[in-house]
Amino acid sequence: MSTRQSVEELVYRSCMLLDDRNFKGYLELCEPGFRYTISAHSPEIRKDMIWLQHDKKGMETLFTNLPRHNSDHSPITRHATVYSVEMDEANGQAKVVSALQVFKTTLDGGVTELFAVGKLYDTVSLNGGGPKLAERTVKLDTRMLGIGYHVPF
Amino acid sequence: MSRNAAQWTQKPKLPSTHYVDTRIYTDEQIFREEQEKIFNQCWIIACHESEVPNPYDYRTFNHPGGEPIFIMRGDDMKVRAFYNICPHRGNILLYDPVGNAKRVTCIFHAWSFDCKGSCTDISRGTEGYQNRLSKDDVGLREVRAEIGFGGFVWVNIDDGACTLKEYIGDALGLLEPTMEQPMEVFHYHKAIVNTNYKLWHDTNSEFYHDYMHYFNRITGMMQPGYFDRKYVGYPNGHASVGSMSIKYDAYDGGEQRGLGWPGLAPGGWILVDVFPGMTYNLRTSVMRIDTSIPLGPNKVMIEFRGLGLKSDTPEQRAERIRDHNTIWGPFGRNLHEDLLGVHGQGLAMREMTDSKWVIHGREESSTIHDEIGMRHFYAEWGRRMGRKAYDPMAESRPAAAA
Repeated sequence: MSTRQSVEELVYRSCMLLDDRNFKGYLELCEPGFRYTISAHSPEIRKDMIWLQHDKKGMETLFTNLPRHNSDHSPITRHATVYSVEMDEANGQAKVVSALQVFKTTLDGGVTELFAVGKLYDTVSLNGGGPKLAERTVKLDTRMLGIGYHVPF
Repeated sequence: MSRNAAQWTQKPKLPSTHYVDTRIYTDEQIFREEQEKIFNQCWIIACHESEVPNPYDYRTFNHPGGEPIFIMRGDDMKVRAFYNICPHRGNILLYDPVGNAKRVTCIFHAWSFDCKGSCTDISRGTEGYQNRLSKDDVGLREVRAEIGFGGFVWVNIDDGACTLKEYIGDALGLLEPTMEQPMEVFHYHKAIVNTNYKLWHDTNSEFYHDYMHYFNRITGMMQPGYFDRKYVGYPNGHASVGSMSIKYDAYDGGEQRGLGWPGLAPGGWILVDVFPGMTYNLRTSVMRIDTSIPLGPNKVMIEFRGLGLKSDTPEQRAERIRDHNTIWGPFGRNLHEDLLGVHGQGLAMREMTDSKWVIHGREESSTIHDEIGMRHFYAEWGRRMGRKAYDPMAESRPAAAA
């Protein structure tokens, strides 16, 4: 498998694992120094906003705390399409940009609706042992998320 | 013991001030009356002054009474509000939510207006209207606007309404020491929820629902001082909730907040509900402002703003954003739970569900789980609507003066 293929597979696997709520498996795809951010630009206040930001430990705690909270249990499905992979061999990294669509399916009846669109901006570490996520920024175009959601995209 | 149909519809065995008929949340006629008798007569937050910092900056606002509005800072730095409606053919004048326009020109037929609402140009005016209609006849509809109580831009559709200061009275007194420094909006998002706007305001008006919030149970309800927090009601339907010291590090992954907010005791939390659908919520290092914009009896759009201080360093702002996002924002732990709750109320109370009563009957010496905040709101609601919240379809009385 080429490096590009393995990078693409990493992106897709990260989506599948989160879809399955396999949080342990998701975190295994991440470097120890992993950082995760959800951001959006608000034309209304003319500012970039951060809506969620954690390091790997923070993500682990967020996942651990999930069952203690009341949450919308409608499952979401992440559809990613890798647009570009730019290798930075000197630094053992790849910069990856993927389109992201998130669909939400109701538990009662199974109606599916588009929940959010945006892009994934990933920094992937290529330092042996297979590619790992070093950083992920989800830049959302969608800013109206209804009642919101407790699980990161 | 469960109840049969007749028992289900019996009035609760409580004073009539302590429950409401759920038709106040679902009836189309009542909703229209609320727009006319409440929203079009009360002061409403349209935006924050930091959203229109420069001359000719504008910001659009969907007023809960139904009127499209825009706020504009003039070349004299005064902030004014106008209907976002062209007096010619009724088109929206400003399509984008924000911008900067020395002249507001309607895209349809190029009629232009200045920052004070005067018409400055009617394209081919003389040719078409001769001397039958002039620019002086077609100025924009100006809406009363005042800046106050933390630098918010308040608007009132009613030209004869009292001043903003008279409307608020002492309700925001608890927060006055915390609003001396200029603030700035760093977070903005909207949520549309299929529920009645009053149910969102109710959620902001009672803390008994802290049972829904794991975060608040651990960091607040289980800590000393929680049950001492007091509700105070004010004229015009506003209410405040006193502070305590929240133990933020009691939540896994949480930590005691270092930054805080000037004028707020460490770990403090002050909340003020402003009639009919706005809430000031100051805790950790962030001021959150909710503005409810009802879109129908069972649909509300809520605007959420998070504010820090204009003087923030990048590090301070980053800390405020972290504090904000832990519990608020679309991915926050508490906001999602609150919205899930009112979404569920909307499901259960929509028309034809045979939902009948909502009980606001807790009395605990006006402390945190007392439901006096909601009772205070519905007393004002009834006064303005000329209806009884517990019997809204009884022959209505003339509404009280605003």
